[in-house]
Amino acid sequence: MSGGDPIAAFRVEAGDLLDQVEQGLLDLTHRLDDRDLIDAVFRGLHTLKGSGAMFGFDALASFTHHCETAFDRVRKGLAPATQGLVAVILSAKDHMRALVDGDGSGLEATGAAILAELQREVDAAAGAPTPTPSAPVRKGWRLTFYLPPESMANGTNPLMLLDELRELGECTITARTDRLPPLAELNPVECHVGWDVTLFGNVSRDDIDDVFLFVMDDMELVIEELGGEAEAPAEIVEAPVATAVAAPESTGPAKAATKTGESVRVPAERLDELMDRVGELVIVHSRLSQLANGQGGDMVLRSISEEIERLVSELRDTMMVLRMVPVATLFGRFRRLIHDLARETGKAIELSTEGEATEVDKTVIERLADPMVHLIRNACDHGLEPEDERIAAGKPATGHVRLSAHQAGGEVLITIQDDGRGINRERVRAKAESQGLIQPGQQVSDSELLHMIFHPGFSTAAAVTNLSGRGVGMDVVKRTIESLRGAIDITSNPGEGSKVVLRIPLTLAIIDGLLVRVGEGRYVIPLAAVEECLELSLEEDLRSRGRSFITLRDRLVPFLRLREMFETGTRPDPHQKIVVIATGAERVGLVVDQIIGSHQTVIKSMSPLHQDVAAFAGATILGDGGVALILDVVQLVLAGQQQEERLRAAG
Amino acid sequence: MTASILTVDDSPSLRMAIKIALTGAGYAVTEAGDGVEGLAKAKGAKFDLIITDLNMPNMDGLTMIRELRKDPAQCGTPILFLTTESDDAMKQQAKAAGATGWLVKPFVPEQLLKVSRKVLGR
Amino acid sequence: MPLVEPMQEAHIQTVPWDETGHLEVLTFDLGDETFALEAVLVREILDLLPETRVPGAAPLVHSVVNFRGKIIPIADLRQAFAMAPAEAATLDSRIVVIEIALGEEPLQIGIRTDKVHEVATLAETASEEPPAVGMRWRRQFVRTLVRRDDGVVVLPDLHAIFAAHLGDSAIAAAA
Repeated sequence: MSGGDPIAAFRVEAGDLLDQVEQGLLDLTHRLDDRDLIDAVFRGLHTLKGSGAMFGFDALASFTHHCETAFDRVRKGLAPATQGLVAVILSAKDHMRALVDGDGSGLEATGAAILAELQREVDAAAGAPTPTPSAPVRKGWRLTFYLPPESMANGTNPLMLLDELRELGECTITARTDRLPPLAELNPVECHVGWDVTLFGNVSRDDIDDVFLFVMDDMELVIEELGGEAEAPAEIVEAPVATAVAAPESTGPAKAATKTGESVRVPAERLDELMDRVGELVIVHSRLSQLANGQGGDMVLRSISEEIERLVSELRDTMMVLRMVPVATLFGRFRRLIHDLARETGKAIELSTEGEATEVDKTVIERLADPMVHLIRNACDHGLEPEDERIAAGKPATGHVRLSAHQAGGEVLITIQDDGRGINRERVRAKAESQGLIQPGQQVSDSELLHMIFHPGFSTAAAVTNLSGRGVGMDVVKRTIESLRGAIDITSNPGEGSKVVLRIPLTLAIIDGLLVRVGEGRYVIPLAAVEECLELSLEEDLRSRGRSFITLRDRLVPFLRLREMFETGTRPDPHQKIVVIATGAERVGLVVDQIIGSHQTVIKSMSPLHQDVAAFAGATILGDGGVALILDVVQLVLAGQQQEERLRAAG
Repeated sequence: MTASILTVDDSPSLRMAIKIALTGAGYAVTEAGDGVEGLAKAKGAKFDLIITDLNMPNMDGLTMIRELRKDPAQCGTPILFLTTESDDAMKQQAKAAGATGWLVKPFVPEQLLKVSRKVLGR
Repeated sequence: MPLVEPMQEAHIQTVPWDETGHLEVLTFDLGDETFALEAVLVREILDLLPETRVPGAAPLVHSVVNFRGKIIPIADLRQAFAMAPAEAATLDSRIVVIEIALGEEPLQIGIRTDKVHEVATLAETASEEPPAVGMRWRRQFVRTLVRRDDGVVVLPDLHAIFAAHLGDSAIAAAA
């Protein structure tokens, strides 16, 4: 909204309003007589109509007006809310969204069809045919006026007068051209056009007179009050004017308050810029710290450096929080998806959510949306059985999908769970063999087998339905999660259901890391993944040649000699250390030459030319300007596991 | 684009008060001390609004308004004049001369802004 | 059997001579050869920076440097032209930072050089297609050779070089 494009601002706000209306309607399907929900939906439609009119979205305003009218009947208790009515308004909401996003052309037919259906639903609900839902008779005025012909030349702008009338209430305005002289006689600076205005609202005669203050003595005005019935909608245009007027005021700082007045909208790029600045601050502080704690550093400098470190840390934490968005926004979208999927598959599906308040970085939320849509579709389409099968299996007829989110350690865990038929191991195995991924008779662990479904082109669905697509989705899901430096876990019990857990690291930009040296290079290990550090004496190192396990509290933990893995060509340090890292339940030990210390770092992405180097998740700039590569914990754990299995297989 | 306003008044303190109120609201303000200067400045640049007192030396407000309206370039420019409450006759005269509206003295800044916004539309 | 090695697939990159048949280039030395790249690609010329090795990366781009807070790979064109690895850095060694579009997005890459010369203008009239046989390098890595008074200047085909050494996955990742 910088630069103040009011239309863009309106579109953003309209989008939010439509989301709210949708949520309200979906809730309403479960509680058809909830008055608060009905009022909330009505208010949303009403505000949308008002704002739409203010910004010139006339098609939207008039369409929404009809929906609002229909819903008003429900609100007033003249007709009960029915599933059918809610369904129509939901489709109307989609139409409104199309009107907001586009310019309204070509959508007239759809609009008319929806309105006709709306009418039917309303009639059916009321139980008796009702006249076409015209605007409810409300308080207001009807006026006709003509200005003196010379008024425009003398600085009166009739359009501004009409705008002032619009500010008082909802107006229907038509021009009267009956007094226009023939073209040859027309003096263009003279005003011969008159106007008919029907003004709805709780407006006093004084308010109208105020509008025509300067021309009252010289103009022609015929005015009468509208016959009033029930009360007019109270808020009229308060709310939309407040938000609508806020946007075009671009003289001041480009901020627009949302309706609650408690929060401020900030364009996402601003947050990113701020993030970069904080990142640079972290780097520079690191240099200060080196200087202060080094040879020539003095006490005063050191204490200043520590204080700055504390401030930077708090600033960083605040920044992290700014970018965090509750997953509720994501889960909200899926309620509509499940609703639609239930209709399309003909299955009864129920969605439950947990942990909606869990927060995730904004950019992560956006990238998670598509993978989750695919996983949910899979669950509904392939996972959940049709009603009769479920009943035969002794399950409740309604299938259950559960979305949950919570934070654990440095990660956010998002789970998609269904109580359907589970993953058919035989089918997966058969497909994997036919695709040449494994040999017949080859031993694979259960988790490896389940992970095969993420291979490109892998779809065991007997019938590839429209919904889930051709199974090209799963490998894209995996890649997307990996690009977020996350991982996917799948568990599944035949007949009981499946569970997919997406694990995403909490922060993308700044991490606390452990700085280590391997050979002559320096590397950073994300601190959140570090479990402990052990000594590896030279004797032990020699002793474990040919074996790569250590016994850690009765468990065998594989370890990787990074010196060898990175081919440093250097001799091992006499005091090597093992840094034990863990992701989920798996752990691996990394042998390094030296642990330099903990280090807060800004993650810089690697050049695309280095994306395929699996071991590294990014790079960072150290206090002395040098570069340290950040180890990809997930990949290393995987490498450790693979090594373990190979050695185990070798006997 | 910021609206530009020309204020014409022989009282420097009143000019200043008006200027402060209007600039505070984001308008660009030019001043003139009497009808002659007002006319000259108005012809020199196109203003979105002209606010003028009526009682001024060298050329009073009414004459200035009449002269302005003779200039086709000024066609449609809103002109507000300052008047005292009771002077209805003056209001008629000013309107006949071509003024758009008026502001009643003494006025508070909010009133000035409200009326300015009314005729400017912004 | 063909007598002459069939020409490899068409050049991925052609030489962007301007309408008068000229091209502004930056010329630089690698070993005892002189190379040239379009001047418009050059972002900066730096003194050598401390390089950090990237274990597991392709030899062509086996290290990175910190370029104004951004991590950029250093391309060692000696790898592409089968030249002996560089001896120790000299006073004249420079890193030429270029920006090219290898996929969809422009990438910044540093090219290690032994010596950088001035910006020169090459003439299309003095250019020749590299011979199909007899050249010591892979034909597809060279766009054209240009004759000058002091010798021949080689215009490398960076797209071809990177594609060959990195494999399509890396180029696709860049896209």
